[in-house]
Amino acid sequence: MSFLREITKNKYLYLLALPGLIFLIVFAYVPLTGHLIAFKKYRLADGLWGSKFVGFDNFKFFFMSDDWYKVTFNTAFLNGLFLIFGLGIALLLALFLNEIRHALFKRLAQSFIFMPYFISWLVVSMMAFAFLNTTDGMVNRTLEAYGAEKINWYLKSEVWPAILTLIYVWKFAGYYSIIFLAAITGISGEYYESARIDGATRFQQIIHITIPLIRSVVIVLGLLGVGRIFYGDFGMIYGIVGDNSALYSTTDVIDTYTYRALRVLSDFSKSSAVVLYQSVMGLITIVIFNQIAKKIDKDSSLF
Amino acid sequence: MSTRVKQDKSMLEKGFVIGIYLFVILFAILSVIPFWLVVINSFASESTIKLHGMQLFPKEFSLFSYQYTMAGKQIMSSYLVTIIVTVAGTCLAVLITSMYAYVLAHPKVKYRKILSFMTYFTMVFGAGLVGFYILIASTLGLKDTLWALILPYMLNPFFAFIMVSFFRTLPYEINEAATIDGANDLSIFFRIIIPISKPVIATVSLFYALQYWNDFYLALLFIDDHNLHPLQIMIRQIISNVNISSYVGGSQTNYSQAVPTYGVQLATVCLTIGPIIFLYPFVQRFFVKGITIGALKG
Repeated sequence: MSFLREITKNKYLYLLALPGLIFLIVFAYVPLTGHLIAFKKYRLADGLWGSKFVGFDNFKFFFMSDDWYKVTFNTAFLNGLFLIFGLGIALLLALFLNEIRHALFKRLAQSFIFMPYFISWLVVSMMAFAFLNTTDGMVNRTLEAYGAEKINWYLKSEVWPAILTLIYVWKFAGYYSIIFLAAITGISGEYYESARIDGATRFQQIIHITIPLIRSVVIVLGLLGVGRIFYGDFGMIYGIVGDNSALYSTTDVIDTYTYRALRVLSDFSKSSAVVLYQSVMGLITIVIFNQIAKKIDKDSSLF
Repeated sequence: MSTRVKQDKSMLEKGFVIGIYLFVILFAILSVIPFWLVVINSFASESTIKLHGMQLFPKEFSLFSYQYTMAGKQIMSSYLVTIIVTVAGTCLAVLITSMYAYVLAHPKVKYRKILSFMTYFTMVFGAGLVGFYILIASTLGLKDTLWALILPYMLNPFFAFIMVSFFRTLPYEINEAATIDGANDLSIFFRIIIPISKPVIATVSLFYALQYWNDFYLALLFIDDHNLHPLQIMIRQIISNVNISSYVGGSQTNYSQAVPTYGVQLATVCLTIGPIIFLYPFVQRFFVKGITIGALKG
């Protein structure tokens, strides 16, 4: 009864929330039933409920192949590289931008550095192609001009973790440096004031004041990133690598793997098993690392 | 002795500052070079690209790539699709998200914690690809419709929480005063809250608009009909070597000259990022604000 009373009392407020609530139920909660397919031999004609139940068979196939190790490793390894280099270089940028006293220069530099955040992965992919394509790319033409051999970048899988990391840093360093700069701006000027009176150099101020005071923000962002380590960036990897199977050995992540299982092989059951594996791993890591982040810093952790 | 130390120190200090400027300048240049490369080469003639490769300063210029691309039907229909999806999607998403976030932030709502948790849960445990695909493609039957590109992004929990944190900062007295004047919660929200929340609404709108403009995931999954291809998928099609003349050209293809393959790719990319680059100086600060609130307050 108290439920009904609450709803009627605030009927207009619940009315405002209704479209959003319906959206969540339809687009986020109903599809959860798709996880059941992981335990079934799914056939389109039979539908979700009519398909035959096969227990853990789909998981067995996945874990017995080499695929599970490969895609899990690639996902975690690439995300690890992105996190370390992305946050590391963004931190350097933020510390340096903060030292720049020339306001116009600072604003311009920041605008340029932030710009790659705004374009899609397919545009990035075209840019990468302009640099790396074998016959007419800028890199190979430059190598050629200096008498070096052309390199067939799109067949050399071993260099792609580095290339992707470079691209990631290029796209997101500006984004993360904004977060760090906001944290740095929050530091009271008095600390620097008294450090200057004591004769500390700018470098010493960075090491002894700025870094310790924004450490928690860096750690929290890092932990939140670690929490999402099993979620590959589908847009990035598929946008850049696409269907180039020569690069799968180092770039195929869980998300591109499940996409192919679904769209290319139409193997709903296999795809679903891998998706469920990812969702469960993801849930565990996110909850654990969000909790740690929360402990470290109440204000800057997300929830 | 002490002046020596001081001198050394100031020299070090100078070196440090110069190093900082060099690093920042280098990074800023590296950030824009890829933009420069695609823009400048989209104006280069196909023959000069074939002869010298992609260059920072091409030798021969031509507008043929643009003429060729614009003459075809595909660019127009793709532009239209992207604009419709971005405008309709952003309007609907902002409306739904702000209404929902307002309720989540409203102290009078007893079940707001449950609603918050329901929203948060979707961020940590997703349905994943398969359930989502079956929902859109078979349950709702939205394949090859624009709804498939609009509906799935209508409530982004992250943006909702950015709005919640803003609404929480509004003084509750506004509410009480309006209630005494006889206004109900609907009119309070639309007449009072929305007008005073313009900054956060602008910020969230821009994030949604950027997401819709740049997305290719939904179209990749649900759009096969090339008449409904958004710009991003058009880029993908012409990069992955489909028959460019039949895809881009429609019936008005000019067969007297060879297809400028690189030119069409680069011109399409430039036409896609054009509006973003053009608006960038005006909207940048909203994004900076959004990122700062999202990260530090959540």
